[in-house]
Amino acid sequence: MKNKINIYLIEYAINSLLRQKYKNIFILIVFTFLTSLLTSIFFISNSIKHELNSTLKSLPEITVQKLKAGRHHSINTQIVDDIINIAGVEDAIPRVWGYYYFANAGVNFSVVGIDEFENQYKDSLNKIIKENDFSKAEENSSMIVGTGVKKILDENYYSEYFNFIRPDGTIKPVNIGGVFKSNLQLESNDIILLPKETALDIFAMQEDMATDIIVKVSNPEEIFTIASKIKLMYPDTRVITNKELEISYQNIFDYKGGMFLALFIVSIFTFFIIIYDKVSGLSSEEKKEIGILKAIGWKVEDVLKEKFYESFIISFIAYTFGILISFTFVYIFQAPLLRNIFTGYSQLKTSFELPFVFDFNTLFLVFFLSVPIYIAATIIPSWKSATIETDKVIR
Amino acid sequence: MNKKSKYLFFTIVIALFTIAIELTYLNSFKSLTKKDIEEKNILVSSLGLPDLAISTEAMYIRHRSLSDTFSVFKEGPELKEYFPTTFIYSHSHILNNTPSKIINEK
Repeated sequence: MKNKINIYLIEYAINSLLRQKYKNIFILIVFTFLTSLLTSIFFISNSIKHELNSTLKSLPEITVQKLKAGRHHSINTQIVDDIINIAGVEDAIPRVWGYYYFANAGVNFSVVGIDEFENQYKDSLNKIIKENDFSKAEENSSMIVGTGVKKILDENYYSEYFNFIRPDGTIKPVNIGGVFKSNLQLESNDIILLPKETALDIFAMQEDMATDIIVKVSNPEEIFTIASKIKLMYPDTRVITNKELEISYQNIFDYKGGMFLALFIVSIFTFFIIIYDKVSGLSSEEKKEIGILKAIGWKVEDVLKEKFYESFIISFIAYTFGILISFTFVYIFQAPLLRNIFTGYSQLKTSFELPFVFDFNTLFLVFFLSVPIYIAATIIPSWKSATIETDKVIR
Repeated sequence: MNKKSKYLFFTIVIALFTIAIELTYLNSFKSLTKKDIEEKNILVSSLGLPDLAISTEAMYIRHRSLSDTFSVFKEGPELKEYFPTTFIYSHSHILNNTPSKIINEK
């Protein structure tokens, strides 16, 4: 029977809250703001992480880069044959890609060369390019660009073609063949995709050189062994597995989310100290109230229960409102301002949409960081004054 | 139950109900569909570039996570402190034609 919810106590708690209307409303607002801020940060980070993780399996299992003097350097394509001969390797493809700095707009495009527009690519690429445009891309020497690139080029009056400037100063015009669909912005915004020969030409690289080599491995169990074999064969390379990429993502988001968690913990503890201070230095009126309650027969337990209801009502309402606000803020308004923490201040801004991911962990984490701590911060001081002798308190 | 506790009860129920409705809405309209994920995977597998195109001002962005596990800290353009000008003082508002410049957003 003891654990039964006492509705009269709840009613008393509500009345008690309303007696100090302004103080409690203020606490509610601050609390709601704090929870919604933290939840929003976690939601943004989760969405971006989800976006990355959903494409992680399509990334090459192993990437081989050449290092020279501690820096990334072009790799000779001759070693491709050696890598393919390793047991378990499905395919090894030399890639040509790099950055092209477009000085007029002050932006870096990512130029990616693929093996002509071969059939294997043609079918799949057709799906992700705005329709009716692709026919042009099949013509010789044309490129497919991301929406961000297209916008920048349009602003600079390159609507049909773009003049790449080779390292020796000569000009290489390339037609714009197609534009990636805009829902792929997050992945393709800064991309210029063109045939490998054109890329080699733009970067003035030799035919037998490549930026890096990607290795496809069919059995995920073998990735690590193959990576170490490659490393042994070519000690001057850096071999990166997709597992390492995953860890690296995790680092970024943990770092940013963690930074905010730290800030949040600082602010929420300040908040609790203020609450604690406020309640432990209970005004004589409040102390008197507790004293009278005890004098008319309330037990300490009842007083604490009543205080529990009070703090639970405030913190739970703040929590639900906080969650509600952050869902709206992040996924409906797309988190203005806060999103920039994760996106940096690039020139080629993407106008991407944060995909909705429902994450129980975040909700639990924020719940346990806010509600129980708030309850503790109010109950402990009331317990202190509830245990003092009644006549002492009233006097 | 008196009036006030009824109001409280209704407030909480309505808040929870709104959250439920919002979740359903977001789940059906704002989450990634299978088609989206498929298209993204096609793109990523043909590009092979790991990072998202959310920061484009510096040279190393698209292979940042291709360097090594901790290069995000020394090279990541997402870390605002990377450029010294952003760390303590504001960047120059007169000279902004350097590479990886920061345009003042209006």
